[in-house]
Amino acid sequence: MLSFRAKLPALVTITLTTVAAIGIMLVAISWTGVISFTKTQLIPRYEFVGFTQYVRLFDTERFHVAFSNLFIYGGCFISITLAFGFLLAIMIDQRIRAESLFRTIFLYPLSMSFIVTGLAWQWFMNPTLGLQKFVRDLGFADFSFDWLINPDKAIYAIVIAAVWQSSGLVMAILLAGLRGIDRDIWKATAIDGIPAWRTYLSIVLPMLRPMVMTCVVLLAMAVVKAYDLVVALTRGGPGNASDLPAKFVIDLTFERANIGMASAAAVMLLMTTIAVVAPYVAYSFHKLRR
Amino acid sequence: MKYPARFLTGLCVISVSLAASAAPKEMTADVVHWWTSGSEAKSISVIAKAFEARGGGWKDSAVVGGSAARASAVNRIMGGDAPAAIQWNLGVDLLNLADQGMLASMDTVARDGKWSAVLPKLITDKLSSEGHIIAAPITVHADNWMFYNTKVFQQLGLTPPKTWEGFLADAPKIKAAGITPIALGGQPWQERVFFNSVLVGVAGKDAYRKLFVEKNAEYAKSEPVVKALKTFKDLKAFVDEGSPGRNWNDATNMVITGKAAVQFMGDWAKGEFVAAGMTAGKEYGCAMAPGNQDAYILVVDTFAFPKNGGDKPTKAQVELANTIMDPQVQLALAKVKGSIPARTDVDLSSMDQCAQLGRTVLSKPENQLPNFAMALSGDMMGAVHDALTKFWNDKSIDATAASNLIANAIRQSR
Repeated sequence: MLSFRAKLPALVTITLTTVAAIGIMLVAISWTGVISFTKTQLIPRYEFVGFTQYVRLFDTERFHVAFSNLFIYGGCFISITLAFGFLLAIMIDQRIRAESLFRTIFLYPLSMSFIVTGLAWQWFMNPTLGLQKFVRDLGFADFSFDWLINPDKAIYAIVIAAVWQSSGLVMAILLAGLRGIDRDIWKATAIDGIPAWRTYLSIVLPMLRPMVMTCVVLLAMAVVKAYDLVVALTRGGPGNASDLPAKFVIDLTFERANIGMASAAAVMLLMTTIAVVAPYVAYSFHKLRR
Repeated sequence: MKYPARFLTGLCVISVSLAASAAPKEMTADVVHWWTSGSEAKSISVIAKAFEARGGGWKDSAVVGGSAARASAVNRIMGGDAPAAIQWNLGVDLLNLADQGMLASMDTVARDGKWSAVLPKLITDKLSSEGHIIAAPITVHADNWMFYNTKVFQQLGLTPPKTWEGFLADAPKIKAAGITPIALGGQPWQERVFFNSVLVGVAGKDAYRKLFVEKNAEYAKSEPVVKALKTFKDLKAFVDEGSPGRNWNDATNMVITGKAAVQFMGDWAKGEFVAAGMTAGKEYGCAMAPGNQDAYILVVDTFAFPKNGGDKPTKAQVELANTIMDPQVQLALAKVKGSIPARTDVDLSSMDQCAQLGRTVLSKPENQLPNFAMALSGDMMGAVHDALTKFWNDKSIDATAASNLIANAIRQSR
């Protein structure tokens, strides 16, 4: 056992950091909450107006678009990236030749910021510059790929770019997990005559649970704060069809100098996140205590 | 946000960051601005050089991006480190700053310089807050210009449009020739610039005033406005599919290269034609947008002077204001920036025909309309942008539904 004196520096450090982190976060969150009930425009003005900002927020169509996009984008992005990353990991785990080369290639997009990713995909998906023009120039005049400029599809165009960027991360994490799985399991299932896909789904995947959870948490955080990719790829357009909450909040804060309503939207984003995360946290605690 | 593309392409070297010249400290002015693109940086150096010639010291605090520059200026004022001058577009947000008591009153300078005698009436009106003059206007742009490729019109045997009906009749011929009739950057503020030209051209100046100056939400549902909205949507057939998200200068480039016939954009686009080595009246033409021949939707660049201790401006601020109001400085700046001087007594005979046309239209007070930055709060501007861009991009919304969206946007943010 270390003496109290020896432990003191560690204790002080940990206490201070924890207090600072939680304190600053809580102060910031509560301040945002307070502001959302005021008339604040460019400069804080503590004139309380009750739920006026929220009423206006719910009457604003763009807010509804942004929040439903959050679920479309979040759902598609997390599930496709997980599935795709897992497939890549399995493929690389087959002891293929030039493994490190492929690993690098698949991981490469991650080294690019969302801004660069967005710009590159913007050119690629632009109907008059990118893929559509290329294929049409090859002689397929009817070919059409207009997701970027189609209000109904623009949000999925963002999903494509985001999946491309993040799949490598999932691959790397799950590959590490796959390498940690005992080879004897494969021998055992082979003896029992279980097909490989079944082994992956029913045996390996459950064993990778912690890794998968890590991926989900990382991807989910990327979803909530998604801003730069939208700005670079579509600027939220066409007609705000690919707007996301973070972009909505930042537009309101900086371009429109309407910090009161922006705070209300930020509080709604926090509520949404809590509503999604809370059941999982409750479940984990419940399991832990049992 | 006025010219977002410029901000992004900006970040050029600002030649005027003349580290503290020999001027005495009380004559040194710290200036926050966002003029960082090529022609803008030249504009700011026109002011800086003239100010130094008058014995001032210029301290350059350029910030890339209008909203970032304004935020930085406000933060500095609140933090007790107020700059001597900030560049700002004349309008509601600037008046808010004055209402918060952040700006020095320039009354004496304005009286001595007889500003009200030489400035357009709309500018004089908007310059005062509670009877005090709050800023020095340097230059004027208009939103409702039309720039066209003369070769395209000549080849097709067409004349540049005078009315929107005329343009709707000619546009199919342009399209049939494989040329995009309208070069449009599909960003909300550009769609708004375009819509306002249609609104004024179809429904008239009074409709614009009722809607965006008086903020009469119900008027959005009136018959003239609905007709304008319908015309606006009819024009969508003549925009290419690569439009969404495009920058304004990329759209200008389509007209320069003859891929498109017309762009409806403010006269900052002129700088792009000049940079491409084209001459007004020869390779490209400029005119007010169809039906806008007697309307001038103003954008005014000004410099405001935050309080540097006390309500009265400091010596450096007075001298800087006088520099900005110097007719020669205004002329030199307008030439590099593609605008026209704010002063109406500056001789424009050395400028191109676009500038002279603009001056003629602007000279009549009844032609002067405030642009969005001047008439609307940032909040209302954003709400109207949302409504317009939704209408423009969503096939399922017709003109009547759009008029409701706009009425709602104005009502909510009033």
